[in-house]
Amino acid sequence: MENEIHQVIPINPVPYSRSRQAGEAQTVLDHIVDDFQENPVAMQYFYDLFRQVYCHGDEIPHSGKLVGTTCIQAPEELIYAFGATPVRLCNGSYHYDQRGADFMPAKSCSLVKATLGMLSSENVIPKIGKPDLVVNPSTCDQKKKSSVMIEGMGYSVYDLEFPNVKESEASRVYWRRSVREFANQLRKLTGKRLTRANLKAAMAMTGRAQAAFRTLHNFRRQTPSLILGKDAFLVTNAYFFDDIERWTTAVEKLNAELAERQAAGFRAVQSKAPRVVFTGSPPIFPNLKLPLLIEEAGGVVVADETCSANRMLYDMTAVDEWLLSDMVDSLADKYLKPCTCPIFTRNDDRKRRLLDLVAQFKADGVIYQAFSGCQVYEMEYRSVAEEFNKAGIPMLYIETDYSPDDQGQLSTRIEAFLESLKNRKKRHA
Amino acid sequence: MTSLNRLFALLFLLMLSGSLFAEPSEAQKAEWRARREAAGGEAPSEAQRAEWRARREAREASAKADESKPTVVANEERIHPTSGKSAPVPELSHDHGAMGSRPAADKGAVKPEEAARPSGRPAGMGMRGGGGAIWLSDSPPSRGDGAGRGGMGGMMGMGGMAMGGERSGPPSKRLWMRAGSDPQKSGFAREDADAQNETLIVRPQGPLDGEALAPPADGKKNLAFEMPVQGYYRVYASSRKLQGETLNISVAKAEIANFSHGGDEEERAQALTAPRVLDSAPIEIVREKAADEKMFFQLKSGDEQAFVVLQKGLPLQGARVRFVSHEGWSKEAVSDEQGRVSFQVIRDYFPAWDDFKKRFKASYLIIAEANAAEKGVFKDQPYSNVRYQATLAGNYYPSPDDYRSYAWGLGIGLLIVLFSGTAVYLYRRRRVKPFQEVRFDDGR
Amino acid sequence: MTAAKPAMQRLRDAVNEVDFNRFRFWFQITAFILFVYGGYLAIDLGSKLPFFSCGYNREGRAGVCYLLPLQHQLGRNWAVLFSMASLTILTGFLTFAAWFIVLNKGWCGFVCPLGTLQDWISALRRRLGIRYANYTQGQFAQLTKIKFVLLALLILIPLGIGGGLFSHDMSPPFCLICPARMVLPLFTGDLSQFTIDFSSKTAVVMTALGISVTALFFVGSFVKKRFFCFFCPMSALHYLISKPALLKLKKDGSKCTRCGDCYAVCDMEIKEIADDVKTTNIMTDDCTMCLKCVASCPETGALKATFVGIPIFVSTETGFIKRMNKGCQHGK
Repeated sequence: MENEIHQVIPINPVPYSRSRQAGEAQTVLDHIVDDFQENPVAMQYFYDLFRQVYCHGDEIPHSGKLVGTTCIQAPEELIYAFGATPVRLCNGSYHYDQRGADFMPAKSCSLVKATLGMLSSENVIPKIGKPDLVVNPSTCDQKKKSSVMIEGMGYSVYDLEFPNVKESEASRVYWRRSVREFANQLRKLTGKRLTRANLKAAMAMTGRAQAAFRTLHNFRRQTPSLILGKDAFLVTNAYFFDDIERWTTAVEKLNAELAERQAAGFRAVQSKAPRVVFTGSPPIFPNLKLPLLIEEAGGVVVADETCSANRMLYDMTAVDEWLLSDMVDSLADKYLKPCTCPIFTRNDDRKRRLLDLVAQFKADGVIYQAFSGCQVYEMEYRSVAEEFNKAGIPMLYIETDYSPDDQGQLSTRIEAFLESLKNRKKRHA
Repeated sequence: MTSLNRLFALLFLLMLSGSLFAEPSEAQKAEWRARREAAGGEAPSEAQRAEWRARREAREASAKADESKPTVVANEERIHPTSGKSAPVPELSHDHGAMGSRPAADKGAVKPEEAARPSGRPAGMGMRGGGGAIWLSDSPPSRGDGAGRGGMGGMMGMGGMAMGGERSGPPSKRLWMRAGSDPQKSGFAREDADAQNETLIVRPQGPLDGEALAPPADGKKNLAFEMPVQGYYRVYASSRKLQGETLNISVAKAEIANFSHGGDEEERAQALTAPRVLDSAPIEIVREKAADEKMFFQLKSGDEQAFVVLQKGLPLQGARVRFVSHEGWSKEAVSDEQGRVSFQVIRDYFPAWDDFKKRFKASYLIIAEANAAEKGVFKDQPYSNVRYQATLAGNYYPSPDDYRSYAWGLGIGLLIVLFSGTAVYLYRRRRVKPFQEVRFDDGR
Repeated sequence: MTAAKPAMQRLRDAVNEVDFNRFRFWFQITAFILFVYGGYLAIDLGSKLPFFSCGYNREGRAGVCYLLPLQHQLGRNWAVLFSMASLTILTGFLTFAAWFIVLNKGWCGFVCPLGTLQDWISALRRRLGIRYANYTQGQFAQLTKIKFVLLALLILIPLGIGGGLFSHDMSPPFCLICPARMVLPLFTGDLSQFTIDFSSKTAVVMTALGISVTALFFVGSFVKKRFFCFFCPMSALHYLISKPALLKLKKDGSKCTRCGDCYAVCDMEIKEIADDVKTTNIMTDDCTMCLKCVASCPETGALKATFVGIPIFVSTETGFIKRMNKGCQHGK
């Protein structure tokens, strides 16, 4: 049918691969791949993956029901256990950001707008298919309010109730109940039963993925760095939509290569390159604007505290008795207790985590990205800055969004910051 | 949830108070009696009892013939009816043969010893005088019997360590020389000028053939000694006296176990394996230790206890050995070729229920006798016969089976397991009320 | 030196990555056999042991729990108690403390036969697929005091007995209500503790109480991990003298993510282990030092067991991954 129309009407609609949206991804990916030297060979898998998914618009196959999540707080082990496939809906595309502006006030978080924009478009990229259920944990205000809007777009949405105080016992109990209720919801959706064996297998799968991530994470402690931050971000971004087993295998391959690099004394950057810990709003492909600017300017992102990378994969679950009740409760705890999301009342854990990352990864400074409109990150800036001030760690706070317009200005600021880090390092040495 | 807990606690208390704080009911006592009958082990067997009775009767009869003591056989019959099979054996049921009430019924009649002594015993056995065998007791005659001291005091054979409040140095022990064949009624032994007496003590780490123990100081009637090390202390009070052609040799022995929870472990281990025999003793009774016997051994009613009669450290066959219980019941047996003889300790403690004391310390007395046609000279006088007599006293306690009930223990345990198990199960099944932990008080 | 270091490091790695639950299981079995049946091999480690090697298990015990002689000693006649003879109480306590100091509360988590038994009962429940029970935080806060109350009674009642205020049938008060007295002799075929003593009213009450506690012990430890340890006065006594102990449980708060993995595996539901990032000496009064928290901590160096200051078992990421993946494979 469509082909017929194409034949009748001479002006063909632009195929996705030649659309502006694909172009945006293409530009960033080319930049990532071509403007840096000696990229790890094993990264080719991820470059190809993003090229296919974001530039060509290839479909991503999945098995079972598709469960979209708008936040890392939705326990993916449960989704896997029910034979469904989770996909993270958070989006980094400027194209969708602009589209999503219809739903949200002008000064809102780009990420939320982009997600809404993506879900509202007919041609969703990455091409995952229509989620059978969108799980929307009640985290920040903007995500909370997008729930109804997503529902309005014709999706079935489940609000996963998430507490906003995490220290109290009441919130733990509340959240455990939420997670149990979520499992109930998944049972209704899939018509399957949650069994010990299923959940255990699912946890083994994510456990393996997390172990692979942690290995990669640990390689980044190496000075000078073995791998650049932009590659690491690309790897964790792929986790959003890639098949988990395939992703893990690819990361394990990358790790093997990094081990070789380490043995060979390889340096991905100059030994003097300032080491930076990245925190704040999550960089999501194609919005790797800041990491790329940092690394173009001669710095290297050695670790991060963002929900698109470290926070998503770092914390692992321990179970005492492999019974469903214990497994589900332990999972619930893992998704709540170590979380450093700024939506919580207190951010002691985030500050401690950042200080620990700086110390562990021998970072020279911190770059704090806050998407304009992401109030919680903007508001936490003050307390985090104070903490770093006390500890004598330099920090650059950058408020930005998905638009490429401020690149020049940001580049200047970042270069200046990195220069100061270098000088500081020299002084200390 | 709290209300459920409260209900639980209340029921629990009710159950406890209802069934346990109350005195044992008649039903309980009946159950207890029935159990005693069912358990054959702790009481002398029917055959044994019959035998004992026969002996007693025989003795009683001979006593009557000799002394024409006003003993009434009918009376005897009444108190010890020849057992009907179905009826509870009276002397073994505590509420019948209550100790307090018995003497009134059978004064002078049932105690075998009193009847037997004047006639059944060859004259002049007691060389120190006082009549009857000489034995070493850990209590003076007036004290007679009594509830033993509480605690885990090691009592073996006799006494155990003195746990008196006045103790400051090493523990000490006092022994009284008593004469008579009834543990309760024997009086002090009197000195006999004609006899040649010797008192030896064998200390755990002292010489194996003993050391002389000083006789009682003036005005005192007991042998006192200190027990500075752990182990078995044995005292041998031997006496020789010539009576006509016959030399009477008697050895009264006491064995005191002195052990404590603390103290030198090596010393203790050594004491447990050390020999308990005096090779030079002309005659001696040794309480046989069971293979699994521990330091703090207590003989209980119903236990089987073996004794070995030795002469100069060698087993003596054919000795007449008599076991006398606290209440004076006795049984005689003859030692076998190993010198061994075994008795079942009879239960003879039947107080009223409220007076029952589980630590009641009863004494038993073992008397072994043997004759030998040995010629010799004693104090320049020739003799052609030797009559040996050995005594050993010890303590025994009520058997736990007399006052402990498995049925109740397991019953209560099972009940609580079932009750609390069900409560937990129901609580878990019903626990669907979240967020109830914050309560609001509607009152003022 | 340089050659030795990797060897040392290898050993450390091997220890830190050990299959901890299995190690502990076998360690506990060995200790259980030693202390419940050791007596048959003439093993006697004295009567000052800092865990429930029950003295009532006359045949098999390889030593006696200190609470038994302690209560007896305190139950002496006051004239004796307040005399020089009571120096033995002091020396006894010092012997007990010397034993205790070596493993700290590790005696509870690794050696105590009653603790081991509870772990076995838990294992049985786990095999039956029945979930364990938890206290709420409020219940926890209340119940945790009980062991100190029991400890106080354990000292005061014997004093009262010595002073003639209470019946001797109450002695030793704690032993009479301790489930170990009834349960451990069972293992050497001695059922004699499962009786009600009708010799006096006090004896009836005490034995009935004892049997009730034992019945509750079985039910409780079936649904609650380490049910009894929560009320154990020995645990309270341990805590009071734990300062100079050689084995310590240490926490480095800066490495802690407060993920709660340690809390999730904690048999005693100790929240501090996960939430407290300031205290370095993290052992609390309820802790049994089973070290499961160390084994289940994914943050390298965040939790560790040290002996005389030397780390002997440290939480590591690789150790965690090995152990947890093992757990995953088991049920497949």
